Amino acid sequence: MRRFLRGIAIPALAVALWETGSRAGVLPMDTFSRPSDIAVAFAGAFADGSILVATWQTVEAALAGFAVAAALGILVGALLGLSPALERVVGPSIDAVRPIPSVALMPLTLLLFGFGLQMEAWVVAFACVWPVLLVTAAAVRGIEPRLHDVSRTLELPFASQLRRIILPAALGRIVVGLRVSVGISLVVAVTVEIVINPRGLGYGMIIAQQSLHPELMYAQLFWLGLLGWGLNVALTRAAGRWHAFAGADAEV
Amino acid sequence: MRRLPQLQWLGAALFAAALLIAWQLLAERQIISPVFFPSPSRTLGELWRQAAQGELWKPLGETSLRMFYGWALASLLGVVLGAAIGSSRAAREFLGPLLEFLRPLPASAIIPPAILFLGLSNEMAVAVIAFGAVWPVLLASVHGFASMEPQLLEVSAALRLSRAQSLAKIAIPGALPEILAGARVSLAISLILAVVTEMQASQPGLGQNILLAQRSFRSPELYAGVVTLGLMGFLINHAILALERRLLRWRAAPA
Amino acid sequence: MKHAGGEAARQGAEAQAAPALALRKVSMSFGPASADRVVLSDIDFQVAPGEFLCVVGPSGCGKTTLLRLLAGLIRPTGGEILFHGERVEGPSRDRAIVFQDYSKALLPWRTVSGNIALSLEACGVGEPERGRRIGALLAKMGLERAARQHPSQLSGGMQQRVQIARCLAQQPRLLLMDEPFGALDAITRQTLQDEVARLAAEHRMTVVFITHDLEEAIYLGDRVIALTANPGRIAEMIDVGIPRPRSQLETREDRRFLSHRHRLFGLLQGH
Repeated sequence: MRRFLRGIAIPALAVALWETGSRAGVLPMDTFSRPSDIAVAFAGAFADGSILVATWQTVEAALAGFAVAAALGILVGALLGLSPALERVVGPSIDAVRPIPSVALMPLTLLLFGFGLQMEAWVVAFACVWPVLLVTAAAVRGIEPRLHDVSRTLELPFASQLRRIILPAALGRIVVGLRVSVGISLVVAVTVEIVINPRGLGYGMIIAQQSLHPELMYAQLFWLGLLGWGLNVALTRAAGRWHAFAGADAEV
Repeated sequence: MRRLPQLQWLGAALFAAALLIAWQLLAERQIISPVFFPSPSRTLGELWRQAAQGELWKPLGETSLRMFYGWALASLLGVVLGAAIGSSRAAREFLGPLLEFLRPLPASAIIPPAILFLGLSNEMAVAVIAFGAVWPVLLASVHGFASMEPQLLEVSAALRLSRAQSLAKIAIPGALPEILAGARVSLAISLILAVVTEMQASQPGLGQNILLAQRSFRSPELYAGVVTLGLMGFLINHAILALERRLLRWRAAPA
Repeated sequence: MKHAGGEAARQGAEAQAAPALALRKVSMSFGPASADRVVLSDIDFQVAPGEFLCVVGPSGCGKTTLLRLLAGLIRPTGGEILFHGERVEGPSRDRAIVFQDYSKALLPWRTVSGNIALSLEACGVGEPERGRRIGALLAKMGLERAARQHPSQLSGGMQQRVQIARCLAQQPRLLLMDEPFGALDAITRQTLQDEVARLAAEHRMTVVFITHDLEEAIYLGDRVIALTANPGRIAEMIDVGIPRPRSQLETREDRRFLSHRHRLFGLLQGH
């Protein structure tokens, strides 16, 4: 309880100062707005559903991009992890493409797809694929060689090996990579919306700012923070439960 | 599997070359639209032209400068705050939850408020970059300072080092590996945010260039810009890695 | 049980007929040609079907390498290995191998039953036969109560039992064991030694058992091969000649046991 109060103390103080400062005219309304107004705008955005629509648009794009990235990342990562020769040949090309900032691809996908869900999802996919790919390759590469011996002695065909031994053994670490990717997907989606794409929460914030509704902008910002924080907590909880289920070996 | 390392490089180079050649042929034969997918020769030609005629360097410099300012600010803030928070239990308790809430916030979400306060300006860009880039350094610093070898703290007490001396001689060098790793991630984020803010605020730089190229459908320019940014990302990453290796020579080879 | 001499003679006759294993001038080296490290050199012996062969030697004498060669996980750089007359080209279900590091050889995400099931799945055994065989193996290895637990929840001895059960599920003709009891405490070790001896006799399996423990080798084996290190060579082959069934107390005091032990000790000490 004490820990909770301590954690809340400074933010609460800040909000109180903000409110009083605004009412006293010290903090200009057009830039700072006022916590009470923000709360009203927040409630209003939920009441008319606008924030929910925007949230869904953002989540949709993030999810779509993440799904593509996860599928590609795991597949290619597994192949690279299984074949050192393949990794040596393909690796440098991947290392050359990987450092491109995902945001630099925004104009490119805009050129290819125009405004909308697709261009955003592809930017998200590009950003999210690398953590998954690298972690999967490392996980598959690092599978206990004993298990490899066992599968060879049992003369398991490749598909069977993949299903029964390789993927389960690597799953623990792959999940960590997926977790990182999920976080990235949200951030990148919002970024694309803020800069170019007219949809989602990011765009909502820009519109609010441009149409001189700072209280709505701050409300959306707070909501975004809540989403990000909530996602983080959910992922950490899920990770904790996963480790308990899969045993100590899933760690690392 | 007794392959020479040279052979491996050859294989890798051949693979990359094969991809580029395939793209080149597809573009030339118009199997893929040259408007959307200009051939590598056109892209590289454009890149070369920009470099030779001096058009490349100004935007490159502007983006780099913006990135460095933001990163330097973020690093300084990150280390100082990190040291303070990392070494004080009370600070961790009071500020911890707030930081936990702010951290997952997309840095780009700060842009609309930043525009509100600073307008579409370079200052806005640097502020946003700093906000986004501070987290890796901050967290690494907090962790680095908080998890100092307890024996070293005792050594510091035994030698009766002053607070400042202890900080400079023991705390900072001890936390340095983590801080540098955080700084590396920070720099990558700085590059990304520099590009984002340029596009947003129409500030001169590589980001703005590729956005303008897109608007006028000048795809070789667009791709050339993307390649340049990729190169930048690659170089700065390796630069910091090299720095890390130099500064952290004393570290034993990882198991 | 038959007299020791008759036993050896019968085995010798069987070996002439069709050895389970035949190694002809097998050698193994690692590394690029110029800096080759010779691990095994000039290994030549035969194992009769149903025979329990123990291989002893100091660390680094190539015992594990020998076992991996027999399993087919690696190929010899020189010589050839024949299993029931056929060249060993790769791993096979027929030659099961029990690894020393049991915790790494079991699937941590499967239960004990699940681990045993893996072999049966690989052999294409479907339900309900699979369930029946798992049940039988659990009973045989004393694992009934641990059936639904995960390897990480079990002691070392239990984990090793699971590994053995998994190997038995393959119904192999050859059982290879790489210092399987090295990491276990003395009491568990003795219990498992007797269990393995009993299983081998019951299933009439050919067993090649690697250990650095001289007494274990003599206690378990029909024959013992002593390897020396650098490079691994056969120093001696000893016919144990003690009738079965054997017992931990009496056999270890048998004068033949002691004389073999003396001999092996001297051999291995001298290197």
